[in-house]
Amino acid sequence: MEKKISILVVDDFATMRKVIRNLLKQVGYENIVEAENGEAALSVLKSRKVDLIISDWNMPTMSGYELLKAVRADDELQKTPFLMVTAEALKDNVVQAVKAGVSNYIVKPFTAEVLNDKISQIFKKTAS
Amino acid sequence: MDVDSLIHAIDAMASDFLLLERGTVDVPTAGRLLNQLEIISGGSLEMDAEPLRRLSGGLVALLENVIMNGGGGEADFTALQKGITLMQEVSSGLTKADVPPGKDVGEFMSEVTQLAGDGFPEEATSAAKEQEGGGSSGLQDESLLRDFIVEGLEYINEIEVNILNLEQNPEDKDCVNSLFRPFHSIKGVAGFLNLDDIRELAHRLEDLLDKIRKDELSVNTDVIDVILEGADALKALIASLQKKLDGYPPGEAEVDLEALTARIGDVEEGNHAEKGVKRLGEILVDDGVITRETLTEFLEVAKETPAKKIGETLIAEGKATPKQVSQALRKQSNQASEAASIRVDTTKLDDLIDMVGELVITQTMIRQNPVLRATADEKLLRDISQLGSIISELQRTSTSLRMIPIKQTFQKITRLVRDLSKATGKKVNVAMTGEETEIDRNMVEEIYNPLVHMVRNAVDHGVEKPAERITAGKPEAGTISLKAYHRGGTIVIEIADDGKGLDAQKILDKAVGNGLIEAGAGLTEQEIFRLIFLPGLSTASTVSDVSGRGVGMDVVKKAIDKLRGKVDIQSVKEKGTTFIASFPLTMAIIDGMIVRVGKEKFIVPTSAVRLLLRPDRSECSTVARKAEMVNVRGTLLPLIRLHELFGIDGEQKKPWESIVMVVDSDNRSKCVMVDEILGKEEVVIKGLGDGMKKAKGVSSGAILGDGNIGLILDPEGLFDLSETAMAAKRR
Repeated sequence: MEKKISILVVDDFATMRKVIRNLLKQVGYENIVEAENGEAALSVLKSRKVDLIISDWNMPTMSGYELLKAVRADDELQKTPFLMVTAEALKDNVVQAVKAGVSNYIVKPFTAEVLNDKISQIFKKTAS
Repeated sequence: MDVDSLIHAIDAMASDFLLLERGTVDVPTAGRLLNQLEIISGGSLEMDAEPLRRLSGGLVALLENVIMNGGGGEADFTALQKGITLMQEVSSGLTKADVPPGKDVGEFMSEVTQLAGDGFPEEATSAAKEQEGGGSSGLQDESLLRDFIVEGLEYINEIEVNILNLEQNPEDKDCVNSLFRPFHSIKGVAGFLNLDDIRELAHRLEDLLDKIRKDELSVNTDVIDVILEGADALKALIASLQKKLDGYPPGEAEVDLEALTARIGDVEEGNHAEKGVKRLGEILVDDGVITRETLTEFLEVAKETPAKKIGETLIAEGKATPKQVSQALRKQSNQASEAASIRVDTTKLDDLIDMVGELVITQTMIRQNPVLRATADEKLLRDISQLGSIISELQRTSTSLRMIPIKQTFQKITRLVRDLSKATGKKVNVAMTGEETEIDRNMVEEIYNPLVHMVRNAVDHGVEKPAERITAGKPEAGTISLKAYHRGGTIVIEIADDGKGLDAQKILDKAVGNGLIEAGAGLTEQEIFRLIFLPGLSTASTVSDVSGRGVGMDVVKKAIDKLRGKVDIQSVKEKGTTFIASFPLTMAIIDGMIVRVGKEKFIVPTSAVRLLLRPDRSECSTVARKAEMVNVRGTLLPLIRLHELFGIDGEQKKPWESIVMVVDSDNRSKCVMVDEILGKEEVVIKGLGDGMKKAKGVSSGAILGDGNIGLILDPEGLFDLSETAMAAKRR
């Protein structure tokens, strides 16, 4: 598994971004950028190449779901893997995200191992 | 959609499915399948292909189940495969004349029901479980915790601001969202940091807000209160976390999470009554029928036999008589009816009361109209009199809208006494009577400070130390009784202690020593007691941290005067002291004496007028040819000629030919000369507007019964004004 991939972590809560960053580091991902909402994430995505988006669902200005739809609607970005972070697996939300083309979802709180598994799964599918 | 495109869509879905690795369904594929199924379902509905619609519904259910359970198992996979194959068969049958859908579809659907269950788990239980066990090792990292504390507190502040917005715009979904998010974020991070209490509480509050968002719950006071309470509790939890990080002993965070969660639950269930209405058991404990221990014991029993009511059980066990229980039930239902209320913006209430005041005045003006007075039309007179009684009733009701029981104030005082008795090492109980007595809510805050002062005084100087009390043959614990009742248009509040009482001799000595009065002035005991309201007279020989230094009863007197109230003292040595304070029920209406000076009319607050007199010529004197004085029963008081002070053409130029009012303010008394006393009237106070704020001597205005405007005199300001004028004259 290629650990050099660049990951964009999107969450409005700075501590949460730091938490995810720490977890990613624990399993060897070092190349991380952050954004505090969907809008900020889009401008990051426009300026640099990102291999994976890990985004929270609930954010002000532009939610994770809106970001997902924007990414999937963008010709250049639509293939970018998207891991949605949700607080609890509410069926409505998850199904909505799945239909919108999310690559996978992960329920808070999660361990570094679970996060690592989800990322591996995503890249395995993308590769095949 | 035609049959061909429907068949095409089904085939496309089938080939997508074929690409899947056996046994697992990955999320993106599941998403694609769901989208395709949505199209198929829509198409089959259009074409009335019921079996297809049912099949796609079943497949959607299966897929959703698979997604929620993180991939699904072999059985799910097989079922999906079977469903898709069936769909292909049925759809190809659509082009043929005879359609044999029945049996297979039914069989498949029951399989789906078995796999997916009737009701889907709302939360992905297995997925969650898989993640639960792991814990978040290495994340109890101090720098993260510190970040969380700072950011979390910021979020709570945000919550506090937003909740006020929500209270004002209960329908605004953006407000709800902006509240939801911070709780949500706090919950999320707390989960990673293993802060279970915080996570759980934030989660409960988030759920509550989610219900509001989904319109399952409407915003009311209970909701707002419980959210604020929750925010406070979160703050306390975060603060104790901070303490722990700073190396302080992990003191108990003073948060009763269980009680709070239960309250949130109550609010969610719409049990608004829970807060306002005490439970039956609580009422019985309050009434002294059963002890708290008995109640707890019986509640435990009641949990096991939920069908039985606590009242029944208590009666069966002989802990309470049926009469006591039924009394308690009646009390409970009374409380319930009290709790049925709505919130109204106080400015609206104030406006309403204002308008009703105007209505009363207008009505008086109509009644005094000469045309009406001359009329002999009986019907008109009868109707007007009917209108009058309706208006009086309206005024009574509207004024009562702003009335609230004094109970809350008493309760605050009780808490204060508890703290004070701890600080002074005394034992003090509080007894309340008449706590249901109502008072204008605008007055409640105003009277609180003077009341607190009197209570402090009673605890500090009145009630003796336990040992002293025992020696005096009194019970060890002192009692402070708070009593409220209505008398005329006033509320009377009595604060009584059973302490040592006032020492008249000591007060007298001190007053003479301070030069406040002359020795041998021959004061009655009552007059001596009243001396404690003078500035600079404190009988406490030592300064304690309860009553403090320098702030004496004079402050209390001043505050009460400002509210146009009165205060009196009764005291019996060794038996105790009682302060009797009376306040007008409302600050919106004033009982005023209408006086005339020239053509102008003024209103003097009746509470400030000590007496009215026409002085004898010999009682009037002029000091240094400038300052006029009137000898009022042996005391020389300065005379204010209102017409001079305000530059009005008065009629009477000599005090002994006009009327002199002796007006008190604070500790000053002066004589005010007017032309005529027109009567006494209750008037509705009207502000003069910002432009007149600085005008001295008048506080506000009022519309009089005859439609004229009268200015309400402010004794304090009037005295200052006259003294300035006097000083200017001397120069």
